[in-house]
Amino acid sequence: MSAIGVGQPRRRKIRVLIAKVGLDGHDVGARVVARGLLDAGMEVIYTGLRRTNEDVVRAAIEEDVDWVGVSILSGAHRALLPKLRALLDESGADDIRILAGGIIPQEDIPGLQAAGVDKIFLSGTSIAEIVDYLVKETKHA
Amino acid sequence: MNIIKPPGAFASAQADADVAAEAARWKEEIFDPAAAGIKDRKKFVTDTGLPVEPLYTSAHLEQIGFDYLRDLGFPGEYPFTRGDRPGMNRTDPFVISAYSGFGDAEACNKRFRKLIEIGTEQILVALDLPTQCGYDSDNDMASAEIGNVGVAIDTLADMEILFDGIPADSIKRIGTLGNSIGPIVLALYAALGEKQGIAWSRYTVNLQNDPLKEYIARGTQILPPAPAAKLATDAVAWCVEHAPNWSPMTVCVNHINAGGAGSSMGTAIALANARHYIELLLKQGYSIDQVAPLLHMFPDERHDFFVSVANLRALRRIWARMMKEQYGATKPEAMACRTTVYGHGQEALAEPLNNIPRTAFGTLAYVLGGASYVYLAGYDEAVSTPNENSARVALRTLQILANEHGFTDTIDPLGGSYFVEALTAQGERQILDGMAQIEQIGGALAVISNGFARRVMTEGAVRRQRAIDSGERPWVTVNKWPQKPDVPNTAFRGDAQAEQRQLARLAQVKSTRDQSRVKAALAEVERATAEDRNVVPSVLEAVRAYATVGEIVDIWRRRFGAFVPSTDF
Repeated sequence: MSAIGVGQPRRRKIRVLIAKVGLDGHDVGARVVARGLLDAGMEVIYTGLRRTNEDVVRAAIEEDVDWVGVSILSGAHRALLPKLRALLDESGADDIRILAGGIIPQEDIPGLQAAGVDKIFLSGTSIAEIVDYLVKETKHA
Repeated sequence: MNIIKPPGAFASAQADADVAAEAARWKEEIFDPAAAGIKDRKKFVTDTGLPVEPLYTSAHLEQIGFDYLRDLGFPGEYPFTRGDRPGMNRTDPFVISAYSGFGDAEACNKRFRKLIEIGTEQILVALDLPTQCGYDSDNDMASAEIGNVGVAIDTLADMEILFDGIPADSIKRIGTLGNSIGPIVLALYAALGEKQGIAWSRYTVNLQNDPLKEYIARGTQILPPAPAAKLATDAVAWCVEHAPNWSPMTVCVNHINAGGAGSSMGTAIALANARHYIELLLKQGYSIDQVAPLLHMFPDERHDFFVSVANLRALRRIWARMMKEQYGATKPEAMACRTTVYGHGQEALAEPLNNIPRTAFGTLAYVLGGASYVYLAGYDEAVSTPNENSARVALRTLQILANEHGFTDTIDPLGGSYFVEALTAQGERQILDGMAQIEQIGGALAVISNGFARRVMTEGAVRRQRAIDSGERPWVTVNKWPQKPDVPNTAFRGDAQAEQRQLARLAQVKSTRDQSRVKAALAEVERATAEDRNVVPSVLEAVRAYATVGEIVDIWRRRFGAFVPSTDF
């Protein structure tokens, strides 16, 4: 079910920070997802390229987002994503959840999930699938 | 009715009118009734937005005002539509090329030797992201990225190891992308020749060295666009003086198209970038006949086979006319557009072996379109740096295209096809319109700074995503016979020790080099930069002294400031 506004009223729109961390410069996927979530009625902020995890945590807290969606195609996910989770938690933002998208080998997925990455969408996932997931999973008080 | 034409003769106007009328009759009386009630399998429109008709006839040639001698001419002659060289693939098949690199120089050297052993004629070194972005391996920004998408190169010492046992003149060309560090990678290759005792005239270096497209599509930009473009042209100017046989700049459509622009607008943006570089060089007093032969173009079209063939032909025609009519070139070499291509298809993450036929078909289009230097993506490239097996398959596919099936026996084999000539003329019109639009906005730098290029990219990428999500553009295993995307565990990973080896080597080089020589050389780079001189001579001296890539780039960061990433989407 992806019917926004059906049932109990939402406190507010779903807010998502789309982030690029590390040096990977391929951001078309990130921008297409950002546009797709915006079109689906969410509030979306994009960090731009080449951010540090610290930059992303600061922006996520300032913007009071529900989700951080990180796009990684350079293979640096194993080092960067667990660190992002830890930094968010240390900053008292343990309620902000992490999505990852891009090129991530199957064998890395359980480890990333154990390290606190909620969901991984591989390249080729439709926008509708991501929207459905966020609508279903976002917990609003 | 004039159904059978005498061989070799292009139809008279009367005959074309007959064909047009007959084609209209056929469509109405024969095709339409047969197609009625059958739902279109897909939307018949190219990725570049051109409608595709069920049948093309000589009437289409009439419609585009086709004039053989004016529009096509002959291979190796103006306007070079049919080929930039006289004999093309028949006498001198395209150069079999590999883009490769991972880990540290030691690990990568073994792969290069293997690639050459099985027939690679040109190697472009894939550099890791820290190197491409001007960070040394011991910089904080480099952590987690060392050796990931390419090999780490911090100093000349790494180049010496990378090409150990591979003399610079043992294959047709060597080089790298180095888009944002052009003068440095040029100097590294020049110094490599010195170390190996091989004169610059005896080997050929090819660089991408096209920073402007990084701001639009690829993302390794370091400095603001204007100084980045100037530094890139320093590499070209140095080659005019010292190594005119090198090709130090390859202006790219490919990332711009792949990122969403489409091949026609992508070509327009790339040509605007080329014009920006050319005009910087002309302002420095070089002539178009000196400069243009050193530039290559890197066209790209991976969605529509026949558009790809047409795009290459249109690009050569536009380039030739631009060089001759706008810039006053007189030498044929300045008007003949040399092309490098990287064969792709719509590669998918699901069932990656299917990417072998996809990339082969995509590459075949480039071969039929007359590309000079041809690379082919590994079937696992969507996932990772190609492993040894996929690199071998890519290379063998190129060898098959060059040697089997008769693909390379005759020049421009699709020339004269009603469909391909119509697409060539239509694509040319789209490219010229795009160039006029960019010119009106203010040229290459203006479309970067005012967000026009970025908008073109995002809108195109969103349009493509919708065409896939809706099924308008069929994609096997994605929207037809869909399979779960899968990044297999066999994805190539360099060995985990590469990073440690690289850090140890860098520390050792830094502690054993002649520090006063490094300091003096870097000071001279700083002076040359401040005085707006060509930086290559000073960078070459710094590289010879084992200055690091990061040390040189830091001088430019201090001088010009860093680029500010856009948060628009």
